[in-house]
Amino acid sequence: MTTAIEFALLAFVLASAVATALLRDVLSSIIAFSAYSLGIAVIWVFLRAPDVGLTEAAVGAGVMTVLFLLTIAKTVRPAGERTLEGVDLKALAIAVGLVAVLSTTLFALPPVGAADSAVATDDVTQYYLDNAYEETEVKNAVTAVLAAYRGFDTLGEAVVVYAAGISLLLVLGRGVSG
Amino acid sequence: MIGESNDATSDEARTLYVESPIIMATVRVITPFVFTLGLFVMFHGADSSGGGFQGGVIVGTVVVMLGIAFGIEVTRDWIGPKLAVGFVGLGVLAFLLVGVGSVLLGGGFLEYAVYADYGVPHASKYGIELVELSIGLIVAGIVTGLFFIIAAGMDDDGGDFE
Repeated sequence: MTTAIEFALLAFVLASAVATALLRDVLSSIIAFSAYSLGIAVIWVFLRAPDVGLTEAAVGAGVMTVLFLLTIAKTVRPAGERTLEGVDLKALAIAVGLVAVLSTTLFALPPVGAADSAVATDDVTQYYLDNAYEETEVKNAVTAVLAAYRGFDTLGEAVVVYAAGISLLLVLGRGVSG
Repeated sequence: MIGESNDATSDEARTLYVESPIIMATVRVITPFVFTLGLFVMFHGADSSGGGFQGGVIVGTVVVMLGIAFGIEVTRDWIGPKLAVGFVGLGVLAFLLVGVGSVLLGGGFLEYAVYADYGVPHASKYGIELVELSIGLIVAGIVTGLFFIIAAGMDDDGGDFE
């Protein structure tokens, strides 16, 4: 049952991705892209990564869609009746080639949930799982790693978001207000 | 609809905002719930899935929804230009303070346990939640600011920024 849902989700995500690339109307493309994000978010939940799924749903499917919609508000729909964009064969060949090269790394990955994968047998992982509850008093080990064990990294990420966001606001704000 | 204004002649016909009683009523009803969910995800990131980043985005979404329902300009005038940026700065400062504070008190960086010696109950847990909250402030502020600034670019006469 679960595998059937997973395969259906994968097919849905692939179809939305192809639709995003092929649709001629930018608005339809954005909607397909947000459907893609939503599908990926559900897949994360199936892969037991609800934190990532929540992020994907909120950022990818939610906020990004709105920002894209705002961005295209000044564009116009291309003339003509065709629904699909013509495929550029050279670009397609390059894209397929890139995917083929990247796919070679897939065989090096352990199967999902394998007990002997490096992640599960690693000493650091084991330390987090053994000590996170007592040392940090939080029940979500992900949060324990993010905010306690790797707090310095998280501070770095927060500062990156801060710096990137503020500089973007400054640059765009100057462009808008003159 | 967006993108369908192929033969739009005036700028007024191109504005994104459409006053829809359905959208306004819906947003009015669900906004408090979404806001509460955002805060819940932020505060409960320590005990369930979620955290400051996700919660911050959800809180930012509240402003996005208000903007879509009641007009982006109106919402921006209501919120003001400084609040979002202020949130971002406050979040970074709070995170830094929690981190450096434990160093000042004689521990390592972000060593929450140090605060326990100064009478903070469950110092580690509450410290982590404070950090999550400050991350949420940063993210919510950035989402709101980006939304407003991109929408503002939409209202001018088009063309390149110069």
